[in-house]
Amino acid sequence: MHKILIANRGEIAVRVIRACRDLGLGSVAIFSDCDRSARHVRMADEAVAIGGNPPAESYLRIDKIIDAARASGADAVHPGYGFLSENEDFAGACRDAGLTFIGPSPEAVARVGSKTTARMIAVSAGVPVVQGTKAPFGSEVPDNEIATAAEAIGYPILIKAVAGGGGKGMRVVSGREELGSAIRSARSEAESAFGDSSVYLERRLVRPRHVEIQILADQHGTICPFVERECSIQRRHQKVIEESPSPVVDAALRARLADAAVAVAQAAGYTNAGTVEFLLDEEGRFYFLEVNARLQVEHPVTELISGIDLVHWQIRIARGEKLTGLPLESLTPHGHAIECRVYAEDPDLGFMPSPGRILALRAPAGPGIRDDGWVEAGSEVPIFYDSLLSKVIAWGEDRPQAIVRMRRALEEYEIVGVRSSLPFSRWLLARPEFADARFHTGFLDELLQQRAGERFEAPDPSLEEVAAIAACLVEASAFGFSVQEQQDRGGGIDGLFAGNNNHGRATSPERSWKALARREGLRK
Amino acid sequence: MRFEVETGEHRRTIDVRSSADGWTVTIDDRTISVDFARAADRWSMLVRRAEGDAPASHEIAVESRGQGQRLVYVDGHAVPVRVFMSGRRRSTPGSASTASGPIAVVAPMPGRVVKVLVKAGDTVAARQGLVVVEAMKMENELRAPRAGTVAEVRVRAGAPVEANVLLVVIT
Repeated sequence: MHKILIANRGEIAVRVIRACRDLGLGSVAIFSDCDRSARHVRMADEAVAIGGNPPAESYLRIDKIIDAARASGADAVHPGYGFLSENEDFAGACRDAGLTFIGPSPEAVARVGSKTTARMIAVSAGVPVVQGTKAPFGSEVPDNEIATAAEAIGYPILIKAVAGGGGKGMRVVSGREELGSAIRSARSEAESAFGDSSVYLERRLVRPRHVEIQILADQHGTICPFVERECSIQRRHQKVIEESPSPVVDAALRARLADAAVAVAQAAGYTNAGTVEFLLDEEGRFYFLEVNARLQVEHPVTELISGIDLVHWQIRIARGEKLTGLPLESLTPHGHAIECRVYAEDPDLGFMPSPGRILALRAPAGPGIRDDGWVEAGSEVPIFYDSLLSKVIAWGEDRPQAIVRMRRALEEYEIVGVRSSLPFSRWLLARPEFADARFHTGFLDELLQQRAGERFEAPDPSLEEVAAIAACLVEASAFGFSVQEQQDRGGGIDGLFAGNNNHGRATSPERSWKALARREGLRK
Repeated sequence: MRFEVETGEHRRTIDVRSSADGWTVTIDDRTISVDFARAADRWSMLVRRAEGDAPASHEIAVESRGQGQRLVYVDGHAVPVRVFMSGRRRSTPGSASTASGPIAVVAPMPGRVVKVLVKAGDTVAARQGLVVVEAMKMENELRAPRAGTVAEVRVRAGAPVEANVLLVVIT
């Protein structure tokens, strides 16, 4: 293996390019039109244009990506996460083209990609699953048949897309009267996201926690499990904060979770890096949820407490190496790590996406802090893709130190030009429930509902006065000593800004829509 | 130079004059001294509130949003500010929640209409969902800024929309 094509963009493409550098391998980026000058393109050794901005014209085009690999002479492909990372046709197309796919075999991807098949595999491996329906309900199955199955399980239930992921095509149903509309919306979301409207039912656990086991599996039969990650802090089924180890898992439970994860991976014939997800109930019983057949967004927390570079090992496993050099104590946590995702969205406007140009940016650094991002001052955040800007990961000797460092990092982090989720993360990290680890998968949604739109960036009167003075001094400094002259030329307070350091953004559509959205009260 | 500055509900008159060691700033009736220096794409601000005090140090970044609106970052915390030179303030339109004329609901960003939840003639409550627009892999429900009647629906489900395109008119 000499050169890897990274079939992705954003922070994960940057992450994989770094691993290529470390291993002395060449890197090839791919890019859509709007990503022409993106960070991953500039960072890679080579870069190939693959088409239009919508993912369906570029990052999801298997044919164009295989052509790009051939044209660049790459001999391996890393899919990152999202896009084609869990698509068995893509893994198969790479194999057919003689390229090493850095991930599991197409057969294993297909086996765990269907949630109902994955559940059967877990059952066959002796791993408990949440009570639910065995076979998928295809689009032809009438609602009353699903209703009968729901009665048998008992409300509340979850409707889930068989091909699902990332909370898409998932609905909570608390009674028969809600079932019809929930089936319709889950099916339509699943159809548009995965091209498959099949669904199945699962009993809804009361206040479960989400824990997951990272595994590495080589092609020689060795499977190495790592210390669990806890990802219970979710907004609408999307992970917001992840940490490792879980504050509620002891060594005995950890060993049982790890055994279960290894059993599932073995039964699925799984190789390379993957994650086996579980729900943990209030009595400490766990249930298999699903397998993520890829590197995960939250992989850095495992890297920080294990000292293992998971992307290195993905590449080494793909080229046939054995899992030998790994430390034997992979189930002993070294300290504690927490990850916060930083999104380009406005938490004070119902988490509405906030695309546009970054005007200034400072990422946090210092002891115990890692920042995996892809934007810098001048970067354009396009509207076409996921709005993840960066992940901040804090490491501490113990959980309290990791929290203190994360809070410091979030204070240091500054993103000017687009709204970000930082004020929300700062608020969350300051909550007593977080410090005490009192949470479950529905905790954050409940808390947000109680807030009913209250601002995260609470106005601090002392900051307001400083801001007011600063605003005047910026104007006055720009005016210099020729105030009268400026006024005579109609320079006005905004005319001056357009020529200052704001790239004329005052009148750009992105700016005006936000102003408009505020004026019109278009909030969720 | 004299400015009128609004932060939230609070309004201040601020007078700034350059002095030997920075700026003399008068806020309403109080006077303080401020050292305000450029630092790359930001500003470094030292505020001495009383003679003999050690100055407080703040880092400032400013994002302009037009019409005198600024987002001022103080040590990373964003504070919305409106600033006008005294005597030069333009009249401002009434806020949407109190206006009684027709209100245009426009697409806040380019995207695709996923669902239209109302039709012409419907009576809608304030904050009732009107249209769902998908952008950046997320579905965003656009809501009625106030109660009224739907006069016009300009889009259908599935249609791509540009930013600021008119979607729904409420009277």
